[in-house]
Amino acid sequence: MSKLLIDVGSTYFKVCQQSGINQYFRDFNKDIYDDLLNKCGDIFSNYQKEDIYICSSANGGLSTLIIGLTNSFSLKFAKNIAFNSGINIIDTILYNKIDEAKAPGELIDVVIVVGGIDGIGKVFDERLFTFLKNVRYNNIVYVGTKQDATFLSENIQELKVLGNIITEKLHVNGGELKEYLTNLYQADIVGKEDIKSLYAITANQIYSTPYIVNRSLPLIDANFDVVNPFIVVDIGGATTDIHYSRDLVRDNIVSESGFDRLVFKKLGVYKSRETLIFAAKNNEFVYELLAYLNVTENILEEESEKALRILMQLSIFLVLYKVSRLHPLYVTLHLDLLNTVVLTGGITKVLSYEEVESIMQFFYKKVLGLHAIPNIVMDYEYAIWTLGMQNDTASRS
Amino acid sequence: MKVVTGVVGNDIHVVANRLIDISLQARGFEVFNLGVNTSLEEFIDAVVETDADILLISSLNGEAEGWCRDLQFLRSEYDLREDVVFVIGGNLAVGEAKQDDIIPKYRSYGFDLVFHQVDLNTGLDALEQYVKERA
Repeated sequence: MSKLLIDVGSTYFKVCQQSGINQYFRDFNKDIYDDLLNKCGDIFSNYQKEDIYICSSANGGLSTLIIGLTNSFSLKFAKNIAFNSGINIIDTILYNKIDEAKAPGELIDVVIVVGGIDGIGKVFDERLFTFLKNVRYNNIVYVGTKQDATFLSENIQELKVLGNIITEKLHVNGGELKEYLTNLYQADIVGKEDIKSLYAITANQIYSTPYIVNRSLPLIDANFDVVNPFIVVDIGGATTDIHYSRDLVRDNIVSESGFDRLVFKKLGVYKSRETLIFAAKNNEFVYELLAYLNVTENILEEESEKALRILMQLSIFLVLYKVSRLHPLYVTLHLDLLNTVVLTGGITKVLSYEEVESIMQFFYKKVLGLHAIPNIVMDYEYAIWTLGMQNDTASRS
Repeated sequence: MKVVTGVVGNDIHVVANRLIDISLQARGFEVFNLGVNTSLEEFIDAVVETDADILLISSLNGEAEGWCRDLQFLRSEYDLREDVVFVIGGNLAVGEAKQDDIIPKYRSYGFDLVFHQVDLNTGLDALEQYVKERA
């Protein structure tokens, strides 16, 4: 019997059968299970629990604060691992400046402390404990020199100690931390009551959608007209994910995977609409961009279809801007080398190819100073995640 | 003793870098080689992460003059050990330059030892002697 694949997004359910993909707008007054059963109950009755596979992106990601010894090694390595685990970095603190650092106001899902190669000790001291007293966090993990592990464990409650992410040759060793963060992310998804109840209809592990999409990337050229290096931009209702070929990054980090991903937690056009507008208004190019699109800033306050289209165009611009060289807080992608941009998620249901092309032309000309833009591929059927799910089911059967 | 080494700036003289690495190891140093194309900040950060005793920067294209001016500033950014030895060697000027001009200039940047167009082994002998005298 064939499989039934379900993606639970923050705005839509996507249900894929052999006959094709259907999408259902979510009813936010119902919990996910009831809503899904109400809309697709007939479909479920045709499948065994073992043949139903679910992924979810409805959790919005985790947040982290990273405290590291140097920018070039500790912080750089930890940032890269966190980004690739789907974690949003709230702030990074250089340990030497910790006395002057301000603790984040929001609750942090996980604090990462890192510094020094194994063999050196006394890297961290009382200053760390003083700072942590002012930070609200759920988890804290230490991935620095093992000589300081005991001292830190004795002074920080619930400290999780993992292997050092900096090797003796100053290379990155992200395996243990990545697994830990991915498990936290996964636990955050399945720990949500709404998602837990979905195990009533599936006998399989529920994964996060960004993880599944990332798995589909090596297979993407079989189904789409994609030339490497490429990026996949998944703009949804609550978050925006960007998956990219590592060929677009020039750093000193050696990665096992050819593809990495970033999750922008508060960049979506429905649930994160307010933060998207806030980010847009604070962008140096926004007024020029709105003029280019023949609208004024008043459009951002409107609740019309045109306003939604403009917001989606803005979100494409903001995502590219955040990974460009103008925005050093995030990973910098060499977008001038990019051959293909694949757009997926809710955005493909709203914007036309021409509207995407128009915003890409603005970005490439204005920000990068280039006239040529990469090839644009629109995943109208939102089929990319099904590649990853099918790959997952095939690898286990 | 731990040595952080590498080639500064946009310089990609990898053969020289490898020779320095091998020579240091042959003399019993523990080497952290950052390779070519390394920024000054990366060098300092590597000294911090490894708690190294010596930073040995090399340059062949002569552009170190521009890349190493901020050494004092970067040193002050971290609480580095006072006894870290800062060494630079290779071809340290673009075009013709006199030893008498080059050495004081790099000293003013914060380097303890400066080797402009000096043979590698001669330079390393001088480094070992310097470390011995300071001990």
